[in-house]
Amino acid sequence: MENAGIPSATICTDRFIPTAEGMAKMWGAADYPTIFTEHPIENLDRDALRSRAEELAPLVVQVLVGDSQ
Amino acid sequence: MSEQGDTTTDTTTVQWADPLEAVEVCYDLGWTDGLPVVPPTARRVGEFLECVGRSADEVVGEIPERRRVITVGKVAANAVMAGCLPQYLPVVLAATEAMLDPVFNLVGPSSSMGGSAILVVVNGPVVRELNINSRNNLFGPGNRANATIGRSIRLILMNACAAIPGLFDRSVIGHPGKYSYCIAEAETETHWEPFHVERGFGPDQSTATVFAAESPRQVRATGHPESILYAIADAASSLGTSMSTSGSVGDRSAGLRQGQIGVTIAGASSLWKDWTKAQVREYLYANISRSVGDLKEAGVLPGDPEPGDEAEFVPLLPEPEDILLLFAGGEESNMASVIPSWGPKVASTAVTKPVR
Repeated sequence: MENAGIPSATICTDRFIPTAEGMAKMWGAADYPTIFTEHPIENLDRDALRSRAEELAPLVVQVLVGDSQ
Repeated sequence: MSEQGDTTTDTTTVQWADPLEAVEVCYDLGWTDGLPVVPPTARRVGEFLECVGRSADEVVGEIPERRRVITVGKVAANAVMAGCLPQYLPVVLAATEAMLDPVFNLVGPSSSMGGSAILVVVNGPVVRELNINSRNNLFGPGNRANATIGRSIRLILMNACAAIPGLFDRSVIGHPGKYSYCIAEAETETHWEPFHVERGFGPDQSTATVFAAESPRQVRATGHPESILYAIADAASSLGTSMSTSGSVGDRSAGLRQGQIGVTIAGASSLWKDWTKAQVREYLYANISRSVGDLKEAGVLPGDPEPGDEAEFVPLLPEPEDILLLFAGGEESNMASVIPSWGPKVASTAVTKPVR
């Protein structure tokens, strides 16, 4: 999406760090700023998931409007 | 193999002093599935290419998500490593072409935590020509064609498609079929229409079908057709398969992922003399389901069980045609197997390609 000119942010749980970094490298963007969060999230209830999203929101904003990309 | 040789890929040429060292070099290069491979010498790969009359750089398909282009040469090299004979290559190529078809969506089943393997089902005259096993030990060991064609697919996935365990293949459990998973239908030993003919090919054509699948579960039921089908339907309706998992894609009104399912039936075809494949499918489709009560207990559907939920059933299959029914397995007994799909039908659908 970034290649298509669409600002994007990727959130990934920390058990998938090698996969995310490998994919970024495969696409020639080894320093792509993936946002990592503690694994797992699949068992979080609605409130815990919202809380996690609120924690991550500033990082998403930073990636989308910051100058790191 | 000569005492000294070389192994060529797009970017790498390796020299070795003796055959055992060559095997170890293949390990060092990360080319194996954990078992030793046949070193893919340029000469041996050339023999395979000559057998099919195709050039190494001809494109079979691609995985755009991983920026990988799969060529005939890469398929041939992995077939060599798997221990194939050159005449197996057309089947391996057809299966590879099938799994690179967009509706198969290879990036899904080759990366998912759900841990599928790619089941290859071979039909047509090539089954007899190559002696591909369709009977005793259907999913077991003992036959070179089944073992090495299936293994080729796994090596192609790992070496050419980047489905590397722990990196892009994030299977949580996996299953033994990920080493090799290739069968044939015993189509000449049944009155049932061959699987590939049902899928639009001629009886004299040979085909390879790929199906992103969980492991087979044996169904040990014998006797009358109805009792066997009842047991098959029960096994196929288990909680905990992909098909009985809560759905986030596909027909969301169903509340389940739903998906295709493989069913093999072994033994003597005569037991089924009064049944067509379509009738078997209709019976199974009507009975492969789970109650709303059970699905709520398992947390698949939201809410607590309510009176009446135990009498309301949700089908686990989109349509009867999503039962991939094969007459296959040993002659000794009418045992069967059910093979749930890796995921919902919209995420991966079985694909059949002709063997050229």
